[in-house]
Formats: sequence, C-alpha cells, structure tokens
Amino acid sequence: MERDMLTEAKPTGLKKIKKKDKPTETVPETNTYEVKEEKKRNKSLGQKRGVTVMGSRSKATVVGQHDIEAFKSDGALSEKNKRKLLRKMKRKRDRMNVSEIGKVDVLQDYVEYALDEQNGEHTHGKKEDGKLRKKGRRTEKTKKAGIDEVNVLCNKVEDDSKEENGKSRKARRSKKGHLSSKKEEKALEKSEPAQDEVYEISSGDEDCSRGMRKWITEYHQSRPGLEILQHRIDDFMTAYEEQEEQARKEQEALAAEGGWTVVVHHKGRKKTTDTESGIAVGSVAQAAVLEREAKKKSKTKDVGVDFYRFQKREAQRNEIMALQSKFEQDKKRIQQLRAARKFRPY
Amino acid sequence: MASDTLNGPTNLKVRELLKEVQLDYSPSFTKLVDDTVSAIKGAIDRIPQDLLVTADVAPGFVRDIGADKVEFTFRKPISVELGGSYSMRCIAKPDVNVDVFVRMPKEMFHEKDYLNHRYHAKRFLYLCIIKRYLKLSSVAEKVEWSTFQNESRKPILVVHPAMRIAEAPIVLVRIIPTATSVFNVAKLNMKRNNIRALNQGAVLQPTPKYNSSILEDLFLEDNAEFVRRTFLGWNELGEALILLKVWARQRSSINAHDCLSGFLISVIMVYLASKSGGNRIKKSMNTMQIFRVMMDFIASSKLWETGLFFHPQGEWNTSKEERRTSLQSFPVIICDQFAGFNLTFRMTKGGFLELRNEAALTLSGIDKCRDGGFDEVFMTKVDFPAKYDYCIRLNLKGSTEVNALGFCLDDECWRSYEQKVLSLMHQGLNDRAKVIRVIWRNTPLGCNLEDGLSMFDREPLLIGISVNTLENALRVVDIGPNAENKNEALKFRKFWGDKAELRRFKDGTIAESTVWECKLWERHLIIKRISEHVLMRHLSLSQESITTIVDQLDFSLRYGNEDPLSFSASLLEAFEVLSKHLRLLDDIPLTVSSVQPLDPGFLSQPKLPILYYCIDLQGYVYLEGSGNWPMGDVAIEKTKSAFLLKIGQSLQSNWGMICNATEDDVVVFTSGYAFRLKILHEKGLTLTKWPMGSNQVKRVPSTDKILYMRSQHASMINGLQGRYPIYGPVVRLAKRWVAAHLLSTSLGEEAIELLVAYLFLKPLPFHAPSSRITGFLRFLRLLSEYDWAFSALVVDINGDLTPNDEKEVNGNFISSRKAYEENMQNASPAMFLATAYDKVSDAWTRSSPTSSELRRLAAYAKSSANLLAKLNLEDQLDSYRWEVGNNTRCLFRTPLSNYNAIVLLHRDRLPYPQHLLFPSEVNQGMHVVRGKPSKKFHPFLLPGDMKGSLEELKHKLMVNFDPLRCFVGDVEKEFPNKFKVWYDSLGGDAIGLTWEQSGSKKRGREEIAEEEDLFNVLKSVGEVGKGFVRSIYLPKAPKLK
Repeated sequence: MERDMLTEAKPTGLKKIKKKDKPTETVPETNTYEVKEEKKRNKSLGQKRGVTVMGSRSKATVVGQHDIEAFKSDGALSEKNKRKLLRKMKRKRDRMNVSEIGKVDVLQDYVEYALDEQNGEHTHGKKEDGKLRKKGRRTEKTKKAGIDEVNVLCNKVEDDSKEENGKSRKARRSKKGHLSSKKEEKALEKSEPAQDEVYEISSGDEDCSRGMRKWITEYHQSRPGLEILQHRIDDFMTAYEEQEEQARKEQEALAAEGGWTVVVHHKGRKKTTDTESGIAVGSVAQAAVLEREAKKKSKTKDVGVDFYRFQKREAQRNEIMALQSKFEQDKKRIQQLRAARKFRPY
Repeated sequence: MASDTLNGPTNLKVRELLKEVQLDYSPSFTKLVDDTVSAIKGAIDRIPQDLLVTADVAPGFVRDIGADKVEFTFRKPISVELGGSYSMRCIAKPDVNVDVFVRMPKEMFHEKDYLNHRYHAKRFLYLCIIKRYLKLSSVAEKVEWSTFQNESRKPILVVHPAMRIAEAPIVLVRIIPTATSVFNVAKLNMKRNNIRALNQGAVLQPTPKYNSSILEDLFLEDNAEFVRRTFLGWNELGEALILLKVWARQRSSINAHDCLSGFLISVIMVYLASKSGGNRIKKSMNTMQIFRVMMDFIASSKLWETGLFFHPQGEWNTSKEERRTSLQSFPVIICDQFAGFNLTFRMTKGGFLELRNEAALTLSGIDKCRDGGFDEVFMTKVDFPAKYDYCIRLNLKGSTEVNALGFCLDDECWRSYEQKVLSLMHQGLNDRAKVIRVIWRNTPLGCNLEDGLSMFDREPLLIGISVNTLENALRVVDIGPNAENKNEALKFRKFWGDKAELRRFKDGTIAESTVWECKLWERHLIIKRISEHVLMRHLSLSQESITTIVDQLDFSLRYGNEDPLSFSASLLEAFEVLSKHLRLLDDIPLTVSSVQPLDPGFLSQPKLPILYYCIDLQGYVYLEGSGNWPMGDVAIEKTKSAFLLKIGQSLQSNWGMICNATEDDVVVFTSGYAFRLKILHEKGLTLTKWPMGSNQVKRVPSTDKILYMRSQHASMINGLQGRYPIYGPVVRLAKRWVAAHLLSTSLGEEAIELLVAYLFLKPLPFHAPSSRITGFLRFLRLLSEYDWAFSALVVDINGDLTPNDEKEVNGNFISSRKAYEENMQNASPAMFLATAYDKVSDAWTRSSPTSSELRRLAAYAKSSANLLAKLNLEDQLDSYRWEVGNNTRCLFRTPLSNYNAIVLLHRDRLPYPQHLLFPSEVNQGMHVVRGKPSKKFHPFLLPGDMKGSLEELKHKLMVNFDPLRCFVGDVEKEFPNKFKVWYDSLGGDAIGLTWEQSGSKKRGREEIAEEEDLFNVLKSVGEVGKGFVRSIYLPKAPKLK
C-alpha cells in the first residue's frame, strides 16, 4: 500500500525532489513552492512523502522520473531512512537556493516583502515543524550571505522611495522595513522552508510592461491635455477628409472616364435639414417616418383583413392555433415546473 | 371562453399544488392512525379507576391559574374519537396533525366547577394522568405538552407515534379533551362573572373570555361534527379549505392565535355554504371559485360589522338581537348555533383588520398577476420580516410586569400585555403607522407545564409596523394639544415624559410637541426612537430588551460616520451650475440643448466619494441637430470628441473650471466634484436596430446606443426615485450585497436597479416596501425565487407598456427561450429583463448573468434571505452577527472557499479602501504567490500633495482610475476562456477565480501537466497585477492521491 502511494505521488509533478546527480546547470528558479498542510500531515500521519517541493517546470518531468526510480529502489527502506534521505535532498536544494539568492540581480528585485505576514507564518511554521528547524540552522551560514544581500537591496529600494517622495508614511515603512528585516532574519533562521515556497513578485514599480505602473502610465497617457488631444483629432479629421476627397475625386474621374458609374445604395445619414427652409428636422425625422409607416399600414388594413371569406377562415384558424400552442406551452412549462418542484409551498 | 384559456395554467397549477399538499389516505396511513388511536385508547383503559387525583400532580400549574378545589377521582373517558381535519380529510401537508377528542366524564366535575379555573385545572390534571400512562405504553415515542390555540390554560397532549410510514414521515396525534354537557350553559353567559377574584370593590366584572373558553370545550365536538357533516362528500369545498390553509400558513400575521385557525376557516366556509350565510357557496362552484368567494367575503362583506350568526339549533333558542347584545364586547363575532357563544372570542380587532387586508391584497393579486396570481397567493411567504416595514422584538424573559396581576384572569396576562403594547404603539406612532401588529407566540411546543406558567415569557414578542406614508413616518415634529387645553396637555406630558416640550409654531399657536431632531439620512430611525422611548417609559423595559430592525445594515452604506446622502444637496447644486454653464456656452459651433445626469439615481443614491473629495459622476450633453455631421462611425466619434474638447476648453477659459480629457470623455472639476461628460448624438441610434434572437453574430451596440439606453434608464429611475424615496437605500443595499459576494460581473448595476424597481412597481402580495431592510429582503427573495427560466421580468416604470407591447415582450422572450429548450444549460439571456426602452432584454442582461452565474446568485440570495429573516425574528443570534458573523453565514461576506483560486489585493492600493467592509484573509489551502505593493499609487491625496501646483494636483487626482478594473481587464485579456473572474466592484480586496470547465476528465500525465500549468498561470496572474496583488491562494490544495 505504502509503496503504491509513493509511486503514485511522485509523478504529480507538483513535488520534485532534487537529486544529487542532478546536472548543475539546472539552476532552479527561486520560485519554489511548498504545501504547508502536506508537511503537517507528513509529520502526524507518518506518511513518507517528505517535504514536498515544487520547482521549475522544464526540468520537472525529467527529475521526476529519476525520482520514481530512486524511490522504487527505496521502497524497501525503512520509513526512517526514507525521511533521512529526503531531508538530505532538501538540504542540498536549500544550499542551491541560497547561492541563488546571492545571485539575485539588483533589478530583478526579488525583495522580501509582506514582512508581517511572513513573520506570522514563520512562527506558525516553527511550531509545526521542529525537525526542520534543526536543519534550517545548519544551512544558516550559507544562507546568511544571501539574506544580507537581500536586505541591502530591500533597504535600498526603501531608501529610494524615501528620497522620492519624502513622506512620513514612507519613512515609517522603511523603518519598519529595517526592523522587520532583522526580525525576518531571525525567522529565516528558524524556519526557512516556509519562505521559499511562495512565489514572490515585485512591486513592478520599475517596469512599465505590467501591473500597477502600467495602468498608471496608460491612465496618464490617455490624458495628454486638451491641446494635444485636439491636435490629434484635427490630424485625424484632415486625413479623413482628404481620404474622402480622394475617394470622391476617384469616383468623379471614373465617371468622367467611362461616362457611367455603378450606383450603390447609400447607407448614410438621413436628411436632417429641410433643404428649403433650413430647419433642423433631425430629431423628429424618425418619429415622422414611423408615423407615416403606421398610417400606411392602417390604410392597407382598412381594405381587406376580413373582406374575403377565406381571410376570415384563416384568421379563425390562426387564432385557434395560437391558443393551442399557448396551451401546449403552458403544459410544457407546468411539466418543467413540476420537475423543479415549484409547487410545494413549504 | 377567453377567461377559460386565461385560467388554464392557473387551474393546472392549483391541481399540482393540491397534489403536493393533500395527504394520500392510503390504507397504510389510515391503519397507522387507527392503530395509534386504539393503542392510545388501550393505554387510557389501563389507568386504574377511582384513582384520586389531587393538585400535587401539577402544583405549579394549579397555583398559577389560581384554581381552588381541584380533587377528583379519575374515571375513564366516555369516548375517544377522531375529529378535526383528519376526519374531514382536509389535512394540508406538511403539518399532519390528527386530532383525537377525549370526552371527559361528567362525574369528575362538580356542579360549580366552572368557577375560578377549577374546570381548567381538572382538565389539565386529567391530561397529566393520561400522559403518565401514555409514557408507560409503547405507542408513543414522545409525549409533549402543547396548547390549544396558544391558550396556556388549555393545554393539549401531542403524541409522536412510535410507528412510522414513509408517506407521512411526521404524524402528530393531538389529544384534545372535551367536556360535552358538563355544565349548565346559562351559568356561562357572557355577562356573568365566574372568577371571583376579578372584582372592583363589590362589583364583580363579567368574564366573557373565560366563559367562552369553557363553552368552547363544551361544544367542541358538536361544532366539529357540524362542520364535518357539511364537508362530507363535497370535494370542492374540502379542496378549497386546503387551499385556504396553505394561503393562511404563508401569512404569519394572520395565521395566529388572535386571528385565524384551520377550524375557523372551515367554520366561515360552512357559514357561507349554509342557509344562515345565504348559500354564497354553491355546489356548482369549483375549487378556485369557492376560494375567491371566501376572499371576497372576508375582504368586503358588511356582515362582519354585525357578526355571523348560525340559525340556532335544538332547545336553545333566543333571538338574534339578544345574542348580538350578549356578544357585543367582542370585536369579531361568529356565533355558534348550539350555545350562542362566540367562536372567534380570541380574535382581536388588529388581527381581524389584518385578515381583511390580506384578503383584499389577495383578491387584487388574483386579478392583476400572471396566472391568476398563483405565485403571489400560494407560493410567496408573507412573513413578518418581509411584510412589515419595521419589526421590533421585545425580549420579555423574566419581566415581572407581564404577570403582575396573575397569569390568568378573564384573559391571560400575555394577551393583555399584547394589547397594552399595541395601544402604546398606536399612541406613540399615531398616523405614522398604517398597521401595527403585535403577536406574542409564547407557548412553544414541549414546555414543562406541570411546573407552572412562568416560562411562557421566553419567546420574544414581535411588533410589526407598516408605515403610512413616508412623509408621515419620517416627520420630525409631532404637534400635540394646545397649551391652553390643560387636561389634554397634561395627558400628553404624562405620556411623553421629558420628550414633551412646549413650542411656539409659525402660525402663532403654542402647543405641546415632541421633536425628533436628526440628520437627513437618519430619518428612518425616528420610528425606532419613538418606539423605544414609549416602550421604555411605560413598560419599564431596558434598552437591551428592545430590538428594532431598522439600521442593522446601515454600516454597509456609510462613508466614515456619514451617509453619502448628506452630499446630495451640494451635489445637486454643483450639477445645476455646471449644466447652466454648459447651456450658456456660445463659443462652440453647436449649442448644448440639454444636460442629463447618467448615473442612475444620480442624486439620491450617490456613489461614495472616490478620491479625497471627488465624486465621479457621469452626465451627457445633448447637442442640437446639424446637417454637417460626418458619416462613418469612427468619424462621428472623433467629431464628438472634438466637441467635448471644445466644451472643455471653453469651460476652462470662461469659468476657470479645470478639465481633463481623454478621447471619450471630458472630466470637469467643479465645486469639489468631478463630472464626466459625454455627448449623445441621435444619429447613432437610427443605425442600430436589429432583430432579436436571430443567430447572427451579435453586434456590439454603438456608443450612442449604449448612451441612449443609459439615459433612458437614468431618467426612468430618477422618476421612480421621486415616487419612492426608500428606493435609493434599497438599491444601495442590493448593490452592496451583489458586490460583496463578488458577483459584480454577473449582475450589472442597472440590472439591480431594475430588479429593485420591480419590487416597488409590482409589490403584490405586499405593499411597496417602506424600509430598507424589508426592501432588501424582498430583493433577495425575488432573486432566489423568481422563475427566471420560464418567465420574463417586465419592469414597467412609467406604466407605458400597452398590452400589445407586453405581447411583443412575451414573443421576444419565447424566441429567446427556443434555444434554451434545445440546450438546457444555456439560456441567453438567462435573466430576461424587459423595459419600455428595451423590449428584448438587450441592454443590461444580454451576456450576463449566464445560467450558471444566475444559479450562484440565486443560491447566495436564498441563504442570505434566510439568514436575514432569522436575524429579524430570533433573539438568540447576537446582534453583532449583523456585521461580523462567521464567514459563511454573514450577509455581506462571501465564503472564499467556493473558488478555485483566490487573489488578495493590497488593501491600501484599492481605489476606495474605505469601502472595504471586511478585510479578507485566507487561512487554509496553499499560498502560491505573494506580491509587493506599488508605491506609485495612493488612493488618497496625501497632505504633501496639496502643496504642489495645480497642474501637479491634477496629475495626482486620478478620477475614475480603478486598478481593480484594469487588473480584471488585463487578466481577461491575457487568459481568455481560462477562468472566470469574480470580483467586488465596490471595493473588496478579494478576487475569486474559477476554472472554465474543459469537460473531459484528464488523467495521469495530462493532469500533471495541467497542474504544473496551473501554477504557472497563477504566477502570471500575479505578474499581471504587479504592485496590486498581495497574494494568491489555492483554497483547496490540488488533489494528491
């Protein structure tokens, strides 16, 4: 049973355990995930899933397959051993992560934010995962270098913003940043794994292609000021008029050339000005047309309808048909309603 | 013939309804009943004869009703008979009560036992003994106390039979003692006093209710038999009775101890079918006709003023006049034929008036509504919270004042207390209230009656108030008697206490008055303040024991501590100024002919302020006609923009108003508000008219078409607003609710406005709501109960739809449903909303809600409505639950677990952070993405910003900038058809994502790939919302086998 679970759990690809024989150039991205609940279950139920980690997608399948084999052979091992192995793997991964963090480019800016949230989470993680803490401490040393860099970076960003708008609020935040980055450091020491499971995104303030910065830019771009807009529209109108003129000329030329032209139905506007008086009639035009149409209709109705006997008969038949169809419809509705139990008043 | 076809569906529906509620008298069911009754008989037979019964059996009860001599020796009952609705075959499900009459022997009573509650005490003790032996037998699973018509001195036994059958899972057998020919009827004459304790000095007061209570038992069997005989073999009459029971049960205000009971309905029917009642119900009538006759009789007969009298039977024979005078103390009289007592002796005036109101409303429902008002009459629940505008709940537990004079005198103390509260409320509210109803359903099933009656104050007392006109109801000053009229003034002062003050009015009179000073948006609280003042002053109640349902949801509408309604005066002014300026502009080629607000309910339901001090409002400008407009859509739009720019420039140079423009609109800043202007050009309208239901590629309506619809809508809604001032708050609550459940995409603002408008225009079976909570509850019920699949909802605001128009609407609806019949999943539009300006439901619900969205809406609405009604009626839910509550049960907080993924946003980067009702947090599931907030955007202007130049300020003041909308737009653009985005457009910090189902179940490798993909997609979603997204969660971590 246990074996089954293992082999099945592996290929889900959500969890990938990095193996020692992994090629070094497969540098994992810092975006690694972890199922926190997994961990809990893992601990309490003694399942041997280990700390499940998700990594970069491209290599996932390859490594996953390695893992399956590795685990198949591991199958016989005692549970304890398995866990040990997993922990080892994890450590390895951690180390790689750390070096990764060190490499973080300044502009990449994977700066830790959400300090408070994180702290909360860390303490949570602490309670939950005593064993992992130990291991965390071991990787601490290597870790620290990376963190320092991150912190410097963090502070730098904060300082930038401080300079930028010099607001008290910002200042407070940046202070908080200092403070909590220390806190964070501690927290990191204690329960590092919780941290690198969540994919971090930057504030995007340096990058116009996506997110808040983009929207703000677009907002301002669409409001360049009255004059500029006016110019744009003027340009458009000139171009438009030219184009129209061009078309007209072409048509005229054609007409002059061949002496004839294809008459097309002009879909355009209706007359809005009376040619003789020059009074605008646009707003009444539609109503007038409708009225005229209605009049026409009623006139035609005066003659006929029930003039001939066959018309009368037809009308009668139509009425009966209408009633019948209505009845049928009602019946169908009732059936549907009945199916939906719409008749129970309680 | 025409009416026949019209009634077709009604009759069909009524048949179906009857099938649902009628009980099938199958052999197994009758056998169950017969077996149970004979088992009960057997149990009673086992009681030893000559058992001496004393007060010790139930000392508490005997003490509390004040009986003196109660000893008797137990004798077997003379008969144990089935009676009531079971014997008439008129039981209406779901309450399956089988009445069993147990006739007590005459020997156990002395001649004068009608005095001083001795009868009631012995009756109870007799039941106590029966109960004891029933418990010993195996027939009953449980035996409980209940009361006869809520009269606590007349308990009955409710037996839950041990045997069960599938057809009727819950059958209750009620054991009702009767006392046929035990006492001399003359001694129980209405004029006589039979409770010696009730006297004023030496004068003994008559005890008509007490006497009636005993007389009722004396003739219970005779009357039941008389009714049964009339119903025997008259199928239609029985069916009509069942319908009437269903009708009454839906109306909790009349299905009450002081109004109607199943027995009384049948008595009235028998009266109308007998010679005494002029044979109004004839054998030739069908069920619905009988129902109608009953409604008509209840609603409008003049006979009620004098009373209904059966022709007397047997030896007892007095003239009608005599009987009438003897019964004149009762507000409603149905005089029985055996002893001339009043069968409706429990009915109060208030209860009866309410009954007549309901009957009248039902009649108009039958006449005016679709399918003969079937839904309105039988299916709609008319309970306290939905019916009354204000509900007040008094918690009287442990209140000593209720029974200060003893529990039972002529009337019971609870009934007297009801009357006391009612008269206080009447005096306090005066002409503010149209109807006030006080009901105290104080005898719940299963009390331990042996211990006495003191626990009958546990249930809350309910007061329902229907408002007269809002003008009256929201009046600030009540003018009392003139100061010179000393007596009246003294009375007034005595009633109002320190609230009464002497005032000089404009016309020079000096009068006593009460003033309920308050701000404009707090006027709806005046009724609450008055009621609380009066009740606290006269009933010595504490404030905590009075719960008035009126402002519990106001928190969701407030902005800071104020209702944004307070801005409306200055807003109106600003708008007037702007439109005047616009019309006076003379340096643009065409003159502005009209300016109209576009935001519906512009003034009375303003949006909350958005940025610091800015309210963004849309209006449109209508230009005079001209022949010089270009052709072609694009050119027209450009020309409109050019005009707008000209207008903006002109406003800027002439009046110094600051303007800001995009290609589509111009924003004008004036008097602290920002107005967005657009131009409506009529030409766009003539181009757009396309047939409905044709399966062509749906055309996107032109901007002019949209503008036109919106302007039509806005002016109609504004008109409605004028007629119903309460419309605004209800709409705002409704919008808040829809948004709070992340359904902003599903149900547009205009659609909500129309739905709420419908509540006011077609209020049956109610009157139009006059309070926000009532209106809101009805909105939720409309949403959840309306038959969207098979009916169009026609909102005819100005009453200008002709029958032909309605036919057209119906035709459009049917053609839109043609497609639905083929594919049950997709009806489009799922919610068919037709108006005078839009008969094809094209304007607001064309693409959303979809069928599945509508299902979600309806399900949420249903649970919210149930919760709201519960909060309205029940005490045990703490009052703070209105606001906080736990996640799933709160009205304005949506359960986040119903989504596949949740995106949480940075709260302080929301466009309206102050609108956020409840900050969302996710504590379960899997945290996938975490993001930092951008520093580029602040929803508020910071103090530092104010120092900059005007130009800079303008730059910072981002009117109508909504990152939420941008984000949702970008997500939908980048991941088309990947998932559905659910969000709160009014300022929530959570967005829900649900995957669009691909249908086929994927397995193995594919699944892996998919899940892998899922994480990448969520990461990209986070990237799209950089600087705005706080975190992304998967509430249910992916399945791992």
